[in-house]
Amino acid sequence: MAEKEKLNKEAAEEKSFIKDISFCGVANGSNTSVVDVKNGRIVRIRPLYYDWKYKPEEYNPWKMEARGQVLEPSRKTLIPPLTLSYKKRCYSPNRIRYPLKRVDWDPKGDRKIENRGTSRYVRISWDEALDTIASEILRIKEKYGTTAILYQSDQHGENKVVHGPHGCARRLLPLLGGYTLQVRNPDSWEGWSWGAKHVWGCEPVGQQVPQTNNIPDIADHSELLLFWGCDQETTPWGWEGQMPSRLSYWFTDLGIKQIYIAPDLNYAAAVHANRWIPVLPNTDAALYLGVAYVWLTKGTYDKQYVATHTVGFEKFEEYVLGKEDGVPKTPQWAEKITGVTAWVIKALAKEWSRKRTTVVIGNGGPGIRGPYSTEPARLQVLLLAMQGLGKPGVSQTKMIEWGLFDNEEQCAMPRSSVLPSYRKAYRGGHPADENTPFIPKTLIHEAILNPPISWYGNESELPPKESQFVKHEYPMKGCSRIHMIWTDSPCWITCWNDGNRLIKAFRDPSIEFILAQHPWLENDCLFADIILPVNTIFEEDDLGSDIFSGQYNLVFPQQKCIESIGESMSDYEIVCEIARKLGVYEEYTEGKSVEEWIRYGFETSGVQDMISWEEINEKGYYVIPTDPNWKKYTPGLRKFYEDPEANPLTTPTGKIEFEATGLKKHFPDDDERPPVPHWIPYGESHQETLEHPNSKKYPLLICSNHPRWGVHANHEDISWLREIVTCKVRGPDGYQYQPVWMNPVDAAKRGIKNGDVVKISNDRGAVLGGAYVTERMMPGAVSQDHGAKYDPIVPGELDRGGAIDTIAPRKTTSRNAVGMAMSGFLVEVERVNLDELRRQYPEAFNRPFHPTIGTCLESFVGGE
Amino acid sequence: MKALVIDISKCNGCYNCQIACKDEHVGNDWTPYARPQPDTGQFWMKVTDMVRGTVPKVRVTYLHDICQHCDEAPCIPACKQNAIYKRDDGIVIIDPEKCAGRMDCLDACPYEGVMYFNEVLNIAQKCTFCAHLLDRGWKEPRCVEVCPTEALKFGEEEELKDLISKAEVLHPEFKAKPRVYYIGLPKSFVAGAVYDPKEQECIEGATATLTDSESGEKLTATTDVFGDFWFENLKVGTFTLKIEADGFSTRTIDSISTEKDVNLGDIPLS
Repeated sequence: MAEKEKLNKEAAEEKSFIKDISFCGVANGSNTSVVDVKNGRIVRIRPLYYDWKYKPEEYNPWKMEARGQVLEPSRKTLIPPLTLSYKKRCYSPNRIRYPLKRVDWDPKGDRKIENRGTSRYVRISWDEALDTIASEILRIKEKYGTTAILYQSDQHGENKVVHGPHGCARRLLPLLGGYTLQVRNPDSWEGWSWGAKHVWGCEPVGQQVPQTNNIPDIADHSELLLFWGCDQETTPWGWEGQMPSRLSYWFTDLGIKQIYIAPDLNYAAAVHANRWIPVLPNTDAALYLGVAYVWLTKGTYDKQYVATHTVGFEKFEEYVLGKEDGVPKTPQWAEKITGVTAWVIKALAKEWSRKRTTVVIGNGGPGIRGPYSTEPARLQVLLLAMQGLGKPGVSQTKMIEWGLFDNEEQCAMPRSSVLPSYRKAYRGGHPADENTPFIPKTLIHEAILNPPISWYGNESELPPKESQFVKHEYPMKGCSRIHMIWTDSPCWITCWNDGNRLIKAFRDPSIEFILAQHPWLENDCLFADIILPVNTIFEEDDLGSDIFSGQYNLVFPQQKCIESIGESMSDYEIVCEIARKLGVYEEYTEGKSVEEWIRYGFETSGVQDMISWEEINEKGYYVIPTDPNWKKYTPGLRKFYEDPEANPLTTPTGKIEFEATGLKKHFPDDDERPPVPHWIPYGESHQETLEHPNSKKYPLLICSNHPRWGVHANHEDISWLREIVTCKVRGPDGYQYQPVWMNPVDAAKRGIKNGDVVKISNDRGAVLGGAYVTERMMPGAVSQDHGAKYDPIVPGELDRGGAIDTIAPRKTTSRNAVGMAMSGFLVEVERVNLDELRRQYPEAFNRPFHPTIGTCLESFVGGE
Repeated sequence: MKALVIDISKCNGCYNCQIACKDEHVGNDWTPYARPQPDTGQFWMKVTDMVRGTVPKVRVTYLHDICQHCDEAPCIPACKQNAIYKRDDGIVIIDPEKCAGRMDCLDACPYEGVMYFNEVLNIAQKCTFCAHLLDRGWKEPRCVEVCPTEALKFGEEEELKDLISKAEVLHPEFKAKPRVYYIGLPKSFVAGAVYDPKEQECIEGATATLTDSESGEKLTATTDVFGDFWFENLKVGTFTLKIEADGFSTRTIDSISTEKDVNLGDIPLS
């Protein structure tokens, strides 16, 4: 009995909080969790049971029935390991605990700009930090005008609403006179945005819209699923959790075959594939063309559909059959490029044409983020069209971001009765004002190092395709060049194109001041002059929502569950303090307290009439009932399939455009994004295929996926993840290196053994990694996930952390498309002699690192 | 009596079970059930990637090592301190306050990678099935609660009997009577693909016959559109493969050992 009482007491001492622990980084989230806290410390993170405070009949559980089998939502949220382990990120030894100043940066004297990336940091007071920041802003404004301030507000951070990362200062800077905005490119969906939109519209992303009821449609009608560069066991984790995993098992139970097409046996293929077709990185366009050739020559495509639903087919046919360039795109032709045998290409063509086939994508598949990614993206859509896109069981279906941009049509799962939105209370970045000067994120380094520059489009991350025909320039007329950079949640170096080039820009004498806000000392922070410590989600009161899970939509107030670590504040509070120093606090906050913003967010969320503020606070959360009519919504593009004239697409012709009207009109001579999609082995922008002579020096094609064990640059210092075999490879020096996947054939050729420390290099620099020699990688290709924590050996040249994006192509998707090309480029891999490196670079190799989390505060702070 | 059933064929490899165990037991002291688990390097629920086959016939199976909570647990009598005991519900607990760090239990346990020695605390440690939570009223341990595919099931043995009837235990020859059951433990496969080199076509509908050299037992498979055939759940032994297809000479491949999974690659028929 005494024991029982003790247990009850122990349980009673734990207080439970509901938190959104997902990483999409804007106002709406997922991965709703219960956080148990005792004595001010997080005890555990666990799933939320929807039926904890509600009866199922109150939220109307959906039920998908097909082929005699049933799928229902789980009773609880399906959180991923990235959520489950997140208390380690909160308590990380790498948390910035107080404001930091670069030790040799003297705003009143020598700024030692050239030392960014090598000099250490010292603690300063909040007063000193805020005074310095305010005086620097005023000095810059006086000297150059406020457009000399570049604001980078669009990186990958935690999900928050009132305290939003992603740009709280975007509401402050206009009060001071303006700024220059870094506009995020459509990262992770480059090919869809810059390519596919010109084929089928499908704004704003360029992937199939509507997605409505695509999953039930697959369950009812599809016979074959092609997972094209899609890893639904990885990519959706940080966004929505693990419903895609349950779906994938269910599809197998229903007898639907799954084929995975990717250079690597990704984590979904590893457990769900009926067939893995390894294809060399970024050669997918040639594979599509080989399939199209078979269909055209055998007549195994839907000619009637092509006649009624598409335009420009003849031009495509001419190209595929070789009438345009004398090269028929036969399976044998494609075999040489893709590494897929002609007989497998023919079998794929046969299977795809005789079975009702849906292509499944996960946003940032490696095949959609490479050089000229417009081409495979467009070809995928065109091939779907050749098999009757929109008919039952034939669609492009996404496994991620069901509910993206608060848009019902992004949801492929049974629909909720309300898609809540906190946009009105969101204090982070908001759409740019029309006349704000801007630079696409992919061109920041060029803008700083090589101005003036010009480009087309990208005035927002969701620009309609027509905006891709509008030319812009930097510096905008009457505006200054950039002299100050302000960044939050920064990870540019390890997540964008040619990070090494950005480092050179950060060290350019024209950049007088770099200010960073972040919870952790990592990546771009290492180049800042002042770094401000930011709270994690556990340390703040806020609002939360869950709209991506595919189960139920949720809304909940989020209570602060632990005190701030050190002297950290939220991004919003930091900008409030800077606003106060600059005398615009009242205007900035619009006279509302954080509490009032939270309440306002709830009152404008869309559920305010379904539950009262008092009740939701008492229960802790609200499960929005499933739409009782969810089955009645027409799946995907069925209406277009049934009557294209009455239900046109948003292309100029309303049809699927084999020859893109817009591209033909505006860029008729662009051989890097021609009106009809092509296989482009190399061109002015990129020379990254085995057909180019550069491949003699760099013979391996590298595939770089969105990371398995993190969201972009997040989660890098969670020891429980880092000890997993595919997360880090511990070198003989005790350092945990980012894995480099290699087939045993390629490893043996280079004398590389599993666990060796290797160097991946090309003309843009080199990164180290740990060899993971595996049959999960096809010969001729290697792979390293992006997002590793940057750890400079030589800033801008050589990195120990394995931040592969530091050597990704600098040039954008193609001449007139300013996306980025992050996967599918040429490298060589060699074994390194660590002793020699240590002798050569004693400073970098003697820098302390934590044995289980890698670089941390003590690597860069103090000691001088 | 409690039991755990692990269906490996439903494990997606997310490692949630391993991580949840750490979330519960690292940095949290649940004495008298368990003292804290070291941050890294020790796993009371350990997942291991097993990469099988060669390109492109590759699969990954995720193995799970956890204390088997044996009914005839060799660790119990081996402990000279009498620190290890079996509860009425079948759970085996090492009392962290009685353990004197003699390591007798580690020597006695026949299963690998389930018991650990915590050098800082000088005690032996292992899975408790989160008994501290069960005693508070929880229905299942953390590892089971967080499994997204329900590959892990925990409960009264009686309630799980249908699953258990399809399951097997690890190393029954140890005769330790484990309370952890497994479905879908990996057996070997033999796979390959047949094609026509002249026409550069996969051969669909060919008949592949695999004969066990020892018993003479035969298995057959028909090749799919890619010319693929898979024989799964094979015992370790030596096999002969015969492939027959209309219009082609029959091809025989001898001495196929299933010590490891086998991909015979692309096999040309003429």
